[in-house]
Amino acid sequence: MRRTQMLGVLAVVVFSAVVVAAGAQARVNAIPGSVIKKTAVTKVTLTGWASSPAETAALKTTIRGFERSHPGYKVNYAPINGDYPAAMLAKFAARKPPDVFYVDSNVAPDWMSQGVLEPLDSLIKKNHYNIKAFFPRLVDAFRYKGHIYGLPKDWSPLAMETNNAMMAKAGVKPPKTWAQLTAVAQKLKAADAVPGGAPLCIDPDWARMLAFVYQNKGSFLNKSKTAPTLTSAAVRQAVNYYVGFSKNGLSGTHDKLGVGWCGEALGKEKAAIAFEGNWVVGYMHDTFPDVKYTISPMPKGKVNGNLGFTVSYSIGKNTKNKAAAFKLLSYLTGPKGMRLWTQQGIALPARKDVKIPAGRSAFLKQAGYAHAWQFAPGFSKVIDSANNELQAVFGGKESVDTMLAKVQQAARDALG
Amino acid sequence: MAVAVRKRGFPRRNRPGAGREALVGYGFVLVPMAVFLLFFIYPMLYALYISRFDWGILGPAGNVGWKNYSHLWHDTLFRRSIKNTLEYTLWVVPAQMALGLLLAVVVNQRIRFRTFFRGAFYFPALASSAAITAIALYLLNVNGLFNKVLGLHKTWFFDTKTALPAITGLNAWTTAGTMMLFYLAALQAIPTDVYEAAAIDGAGPWRTFWKITFPLLKPGHFFVAVVSIIGAMKVFDQNYIISRGSGGPAYATYVVVLYIYNTAIKDIQLGLAAAAGVVLFVVIFLFTIIQWAFFGRQEAA
Repeated sequence: MRRTQMLGVLAVVVFSAVVVAAGAQARVNAIPGSVIKKTAVTKVTLTGWASSPAETAALKTTIRGFERSHPGYKVNYAPINGDYPAAMLAKFAARKPPDVFYVDSNVAPDWMSQGVLEPLDSLIKKNHYNIKAFFPRLVDAFRYKGHIYGLPKDWSPLAMETNNAMMAKAGVKPPKTWAQLTAVAQKLKAADAVPGGAPLCIDPDWARMLAFVYQNKGSFLNKSKTAPTLTSAAVRQAVNYYVGFSKNGLSGTHDKLGVGWCGEALGKEKAAIAFEGNWVVGYMHDTFPDVKYTISPMPKGKVNGNLGFTVSYSIGKNTKNKAAAFKLLSYLTGPKGMRLWTQQGIALPARKDVKIPAGRSAFLKQAGYAHAWQFAPGFSKVIDSANNELQAVFGGKESVDTMLAKVQQAARDALG
Repeated sequence: MAVAVRKRGFPRRNRPGAGREALVGYGFVLVPMAVFLLFFIYPMLYALYISRFDWGILGPAGNVGWKNYSHLWHDTLFRRSIKNTLEYTLWVVPAQMALGLLLAVVVNQRIRFRTFFRGAFYFPALASSAAITAIALYLLNVNGLFNKVLGLHKTWFFDTKTALPAITGLNAWTTAGTMMLFYLAALQAIPTDVYEAAAIDGAGPWRTFWKITFPLLKPGHFFVAVVSIIGAMKVFDQNYIISRGSGGPAYATYVVVLYIYNTAIKDIQLGLAAAAGVVLFVVIFLFTIIQWAFFGRQEAA
């Protein structure tokens, strides 16, 4: 009896001891930090995601550049592997965001409207930071109700990648207009230039189709983002054009072509034409170095139009040392930092005063007319629904008009 | 310390020393119980609480009463996710149970390499669902092994008709090993003298199985059915990976947990997501009660 009782007491004592010890440990750890601060080392935490080792290496080079030119500053870079939005949500909710972090233009409306990002206007003013050198549309992606909540770290529009050998076999050049694109696709098919594949790789994905919508003077939302504009003739026409390739057997979806995405279709020569961004360049270089292809701007419809994918550096509303955070942010988005970050071609500079890496001019040409891939707060389920409806259209289960009416309604509901 | 204070509240027992024994017992369960309360019961009640709010990243933006629930009721996407989840459950649970029972009966025989088979059948349950799904994506690719063997040319996971059945098949296969384990335990709990009696009466193996084994497995059936249904209602990983979070093609793989995830993490409507979670909890709870009534209380207890 005595022994069991002793054991029980022991368990409680050990548990409390562990808790107390952990607390004491935390306090001990806190002391050196404050001492270091007195010796004038300011720590800035930086968080993002890392898609490849090359990307991590480029960012580390950039960080070293910052630390060298800013003595007394130390960057603590801690990337998040896995679900970035979910991990960041937890940090925001705990009121402990990193000092500087990535914000994708797609989630920016949600985060900006939820008040977890610091408006940068006064910091920009106080530090006399010139934001005129950025492509204006990229800065606009991080503007909400008149305030700027982030500055673009890089971007990429879509472009048209064409397989050189296949195009030569069909005797065609990269198309410049919608009419030419249709004609080229037909010639590729007639010449059987893509054996075991399709002339084009086109997926039921609004993140591709919307570029064509813009080329036809259509849009998803109105300028003020207060109402959907999907039932216009311009949108219907563009969607019919996009879906038409699949209906007429001129394009295949990635799954039908037996690949994971259209970039892989280009690499495995299952398609002669794909519409992807700058990310396809490194991928092709690493995985399919023998496939020769050409990058051209997106074909022109009624007007030039395209989608742009961009990511910002932002500062948390609950970040403690905002002045230090802005020092890092302004270096990373400044001419020196952005040159270091983009010189290897991992990403395209978001500034006009930074030279674009070799062979990427087709992307740069489109900076003036690319629209950010971005909607309104609470729109992720609308886009999911829009893609599901588009898949039904591709599968021949739904008409284009029905799809547009449904997505219009879903968007209207989300706007409230 | 809390234990010492609480001690006074305990009713005195007749047996001397019983109070102390209880004290020690509670001392031991204190830590696991605290963990259980803190990480299971408290979040559950908290989810119930926030389901009545418009709740963003930084907390409540206003009490909305039952509005989140009425929103769910009218939300076609949520309805579709419920329909898909029920449809999936309806197919995957019998498949898992039948497959699990079959495997359990096989590895319960005195056959050569019995241990190897037990391990082999359980193996898929050990691998992470993400890895299994990634491999399945290759195997069921339009140019994949599965199509080659069957001489087909189907895009299993990307066709509205076959996407959910393909996931059903995949998950029935991966979970069958776990179900086998449960059934194996239940099989070995059946006393051998019943079989001896059946053998003396001249019952063949087929008859023995249906007249003796199957009915005597009743508590096993109940347990496996409950675990299987709860698991099926929570299906998420495979659908998320295959559809890249969109629940496609054409909503074919949009399930309730995917709805909760997208609502909470992507749309940051935590109140609405919590309400959807509560609805899922109620549905699972109802199913369990129905099964409990169906299989009989005494076996379940």
